[in-house]
Amino acid sequence: MLAIIEVAALPPFHSNENDPSWGSKRLPTSVIDRQLAWPRELLPPAPPSMYFSTFILKNLTRRPTRTVLTILGLAVAVASIIALLGISNNAERAVEASFEQRGIDLIVQQAGRSSGFNSDFREYFVDETKKIPGVKQVASAVVNLIDVTRDSGNSDQVIIQGWDNDNFGFDVLDIISGRRLETGERQKVMLGSTLAKNLNKKVGDTIVFGRQDSRNKENVYEVVGIYKSGIIFQDGSAVVSITDGRKLTGMRVTGFSVRVNKSRPDSTDEIEAVRVKIEALQDPEDPSVQLSAQTPATFITSLSHLKMVKALTWVVSIVAMVIGVIGMLNTMAMSVLERTQEIGILRAVGWPPSRVLRMILGEAALLSLIAAVVGTAGAWIALHLLTMSPKVNGFIEGRLAPVVIAEGIAITLLIGLVGGIFPAFRAARLLPTEAIRHD
Amino acid sequence: MIDGLPNHLLFADRIHKTYPDGKVSALVGVSLVVRESEFVAITGRSGCGKSTLLNMLGALDRPDSGEVYFRGTPLSTRQDLDRFRARQIGFVFQAFFLLPTLTARENVQVPMFEGPPLSTRARAKKADELLDQVGLTGRASHRSSQLSVGERQRVALARSLANDPVLLLADEPTGNLDSENAERILDLLVRLKHERKLAMLIVTHSSEVAARADRVVRMKDGHVTEGPAR
Repeated sequence: MLAIIEVAALPPFHSNENDPSWGSKRLPTSVIDRQLAWPRELLPPAPPSMYFSTFILKNLTRRPTRTVLTILGLAVAVASIIALLGISNNAERAVEASFEQRGIDLIVQQAGRSSGFNSDFREYFVDETKKIPGVKQVASAVVNLIDVTRDSGNSDQVIIQGWDNDNFGFDVLDIISGRRLETGERQKVMLGSTLAKNLNKKVGDTIVFGRQDSRNKENVYEVVGIYKSGIIFQDGSAVVSITDGRKLTGMRVTGFSVRVNKSRPDSTDEIEAVRVKIEALQDPEDPSVQLSAQTPATFITSLSHLKMVKALTWVVSIVAMVIGVIGMLNTMAMSVLERTQEIGILRAVGWPPSRVLRMILGEAALLSLIAAVVGTAGAWIALHLLTMSPKVNGFIEGRLAPVVIAEGIAITLLIGLVGGIFPAFRAARLLPTEAIRHD
Repeated sequence: MIDGLPNHLLFADRIHKTYPDGKVSALVGVSLVVRESEFVAITGRSGCGKSTLLNMLGALDRPDSGEVYFRGTPLSTRQDLDRFRARQIGFVFQAFFLLPTLTARENVQVPMFEGPPLSTRARAKKADELLDQVGLTGRASHRSSQLSVGERQRVALARSLANDPVLLLADEPTGNLDSENAERILDLLVRLKHERKLAMLIVTHSSEVAARADRVVRMKDGHVTEGPAR
């Protein structure tokens, strides 16, 4: 009713510059205007003002399907990068934590071997190391991957560790069920909590290492304890006596850890002195065997498995980055092409190339940022799903370190900016007259 | 001040333009003066060089030779042509060229980003005032797709005034409008010219538009053929 009264009250339209219905503080003139116009006091208050970012947001929302698909495409690439970086970072962190937890100063294995799994030397070296002045404790071990036959008949590879009874590694194991191994015990095993869960074993159950053979009972081990250490590899492995470890792996000693007497907790001189002496040791029965003694930090960087994981991570990441850049390039190039006339208008009304450049790069950056958030969430979900798989949950941890997330976001922004830079420059260099003529 | 051209705002001095892809010269030694607050209409057949001349005068393009002076300063010596366009010139195009994702109020604010510094609130207020002046009170929150063609051209007109220019360049501003809307836009242009003491240069095919101009310049094949160039 109010609208009808207002319409009736409006003056008629005259196409004359003196017409009082035109101009500031006067009501609109056309029939359409009269139907839609409301007195100013009845109009809602002015909406928030427009910012430069408004352009960026509105340009992205004008083609929602394309924007969503671009974000998803980029997010998949980012998720794979973050997940792989996460796996690599977690593995490194787990190894580092296992050494830190046990207070290890030096890790010793056969020189020239790519990993502890193919290192093999005589106990002689362990005995000689114990005699070196400054050496506080030595824990020798046989570590390798071994098949475990499940009740279903399928087999999985697990890490087996053969330890001496006085190995200080036992000190950091939190026995959550059963007991620890005792001196001289044979065919008894302690399982990490993750491994026990994967194999569905509890204390008192038996476990078959290697091939199941009803006539051969020597590879059947009784579970005497289940432990938790908080370290993914440790919790995914099995601990047996070093004698059993040698029997199961066919190796003598694959490596040992050394604690050194230090004058100060952060002292490195004493460690270095012991390290040099260990590396100088020679087995009189086999002088060709040399040892390599490394601090945990050096050891981690030299671990071939970790190197492989890292290399794989970066190869896949680079492929994902290239795919991401191409996707972003395609989206932004299309977006610029579609908006050539609009960009021409922006240039015509005085926007300098730098502002056009910032607008296009802003759109690319915003797309990337959203993709980074979605990708991070995707990576977190993917890692957690992976940790639910018994095949890998002894090796993969579900957490994402803040540094990995930061790296992922930085890489995504880089992808966005690299993908957006060419279309942005193209847009900025458009001549207004040509852009306006563009069809 | 150029000798013999008192009170001139814009002076095109023997400008030539040939497009790289064209064998025909778009402008051949065209000279033209636009004085402060003057309304000049440029007419001529399609392809005679009217729009090219408008682009040269509006610093959207550079002539191959000759010079365009704005208040005595040659445009070729200016390093800040973007800023010059933003602050001194308003453009109105036949096809309106509103940004489709933005509302009328936002479209009007687009040039203000390069205009004299204003707070975001002041920009919005000024946009509302300009929309008010072109008779679009209550349509500020509508996007171009929600506006009639006449309303779109009025938004474009409000946008051209965003930074209070001294010169309005319009390329067939009534070309896409029906006669009723064309007349309204023309009325509005003339009123704003008087109110704001705007110089106005309109390229048009319309005899009605030309009839309202202070001076009509006719062009043919890149030359000014009729009407006082000064």
